[in-house]
Amino acid sequence: MHPNEDALNAFADGTLPAAEAADIERHVAACVSCRQTVDDLREMLRAASELELREPPVRAWSRIERAIRLEQQGGARSVLGDAADADARPKGSRSDSARPGVATAARSRAALIWLGAAATLVLATMVGLRYAPARQAASPPPLGATAQAPAGDAAQSVESELRQAEAHYENAIKGLEQIANAEQNALDPRTAATLQKNLAVIDQAISESRAAVRSQPASDPAQQSLIENFKTKIALLQDTVALINEMRKGNEAGAARIVSGLKEKSN
Amino acid sequence: MRLIAAMLLAGWAGAVPALAQDRPYHLVAHDAVRAVRAGAYQGRDRGPEQTDRFSRRVKLGRDGRVSVGNVSGDIVVTGGSGDEVSIEAVKRARGDQNQLANVRIVVDDRAGRVEIRTEYDSSRSGRGNNVSVDYTITVPSGAAVEMKSVSGNVKVSGVRGAVRAESVSGNVTTSDTPKVEAAKSVSGNVTLSGIQNDGDLSASSVSGTVSAKSVKAHALDIGSVSGDLVVTDVTCERLNAKSVSGGFEYVGSIARGGVYDVNLHSGTVRFVLANPPGFELTANTFSGSIRSDLPLTIGGDRDSGSGGRPRGINRQTMRATFGDGSAMLTLRTFSGDIVIAKR
Repeated sequence: MHPNEDALNAFADGTLPAAEAADIERHVAACVSCRQTVDDLREMLRAASELELREPPVRAWSRIERAIRLEQQGGARSVLGDAADADARPKGSRSDSARPGVATAARSRAALIWLGAAATLVLATMVGLRYAPARQAASPPPLGATAQAPAGDAAQSVESELRQAEAHYENAIKGLEQIANAEQNALDPRTAATLQKNLAVIDQAISESRAAVRSQPASDPAQQSLIENFKTKIALLQDTVALINEMRKGNEAGAARIVSGLKEKSN
Repeated sequence: MRLIAAMLLAGWAGAVPALAQDRPYHLVAHDAVRAVRAGAYQGRDRGPEQTDRFSRRVKLGRDGRVSVGNVSGDIVVTGGSGDEVSIEAVKRARGDQNQLANVRIVVDDRAGRVEIRTEYDSSRSGRGNNVSVDYTITVPSGAAVEMKSVSGNVKVSGVRGAVRAESVSGNVTTSDTPKVEAAKSVSGNVTLSGIQNDGDLSASSVSGTVSAKSVKAHALDIGSVSGDLVVTDVTCERLNAKSVSGGFEYVGSIARGGVYDVNLHSGTVRFVLANPPGFELTANTFSGSIRSDLPLTIGGDRDSGSGGRPRGINRQTMRATFGDGSAMLTLRTFSGDIVIAKR
């Protein structure tokens, strides 16, 4: 019987109790398929350990939200783009604000960049989360080694990692919620309502899982459920932002065509 | 969970831009979006229905590609004989008939490819917003078809080529269409039948039910946030199923060496298996129960009850083996039950 995925992961991480690790080690020595899996996992851990774990700064979300608000108001340029555009613009040239089509397109582009940046930040958070435990587990042991960590330390470590993961997910969720809420009028009201209703369903699930983790910190089902629900919420928020993004892209494409059409007419 | 991620990142990345692609500058996606945002066909209660019919036939070839992009209204595609694409469309509005002229049906005919799309004229201050367009399209049965609707149902039958069908607000239904690759909706149900695909099938909805019947695929990826997932008469080698508040039911067979992964929050996981060769089971529930009609070897001890009769197991995590143990079932639900039954 092959060890299951969780056991192989724990073996590769070096977090299995010594007896179980020894069993798996014997199996891995004789099983090409499982040995390959363990080798792959360790290679991933090694690569991940070279990544820098970063938490998206809170101010990043604020900047994204501000940029979107400015873009919505239509009276201001992109937060990042102002200075660079001013430097790049030839002296005496007409400003974009005098050319509505160009200004609209530029603003839409800026907003898209921000939305893209938000998605990237969340992705970075997810990558950090996936590999955070590996980094804390120090470097993976060689195939012949076995884990020595006392059970109490391991439990504390798991709880600490879980709390750290919760904090990361909550930050990512907060940021995405800011964007989604600020931009929700880009969506058909029924679609927006459906998405909101389902986000509430996930919130309820998170709340139940969190209560279970608090009451039984060592429960695998409770831990896995909490993390899975966080992932689901982030995925749905990312999808919401992506849908908003695509609707805005439609606008931008239209605006770009208007500009293109005006140019064609003037030539 | 990537429920609508694929749709939005891979699918929608093309949807609205595709609607806007290659069209005259005054026809912009903005108005298509605005039309939906304002509520599709919102003039429904204002005056008598006005209609305008559109009909066109285009030669495609037996294995060409057809794409259909609609904003408001249904899309029905049927596979037929011959090598032509037949497009029948009805524009509908209430009240002012002039609104109908603000919406165009565009058919781009290129070598081996036909693109059909609805365009809204933005130069009329969105007066075309109350217009919906229903398409009835017949394609050569071997054609590949891609359909995207923002607000409307999408239905396809009898198409033998690869099919991708997506709607934001509407149901997606396929039948006798063996090569469905993706079927997705945000707020509608996804209903599939008659699939025989060597590749992967992805089906998802945010709030709707996802159901599939008579499915044979290499890999099946299904998900919903609040809807149920039901697959009947299914055979696949890889399964990934996720829902938060919905349940999951799998009725069919599992493959030797197959991998089946189900992750729910509050729903019940139910596997009804016909003569499974064997599997390793990891079942995991916080407050539900785990039950198997099949005699399982649990943690090295046989736990078959009396002659393999159903037996409840009160534990959060169970690892067990049945038969040759060649497939791998990982079933998780936070508060629901896990049931393995014989078919």
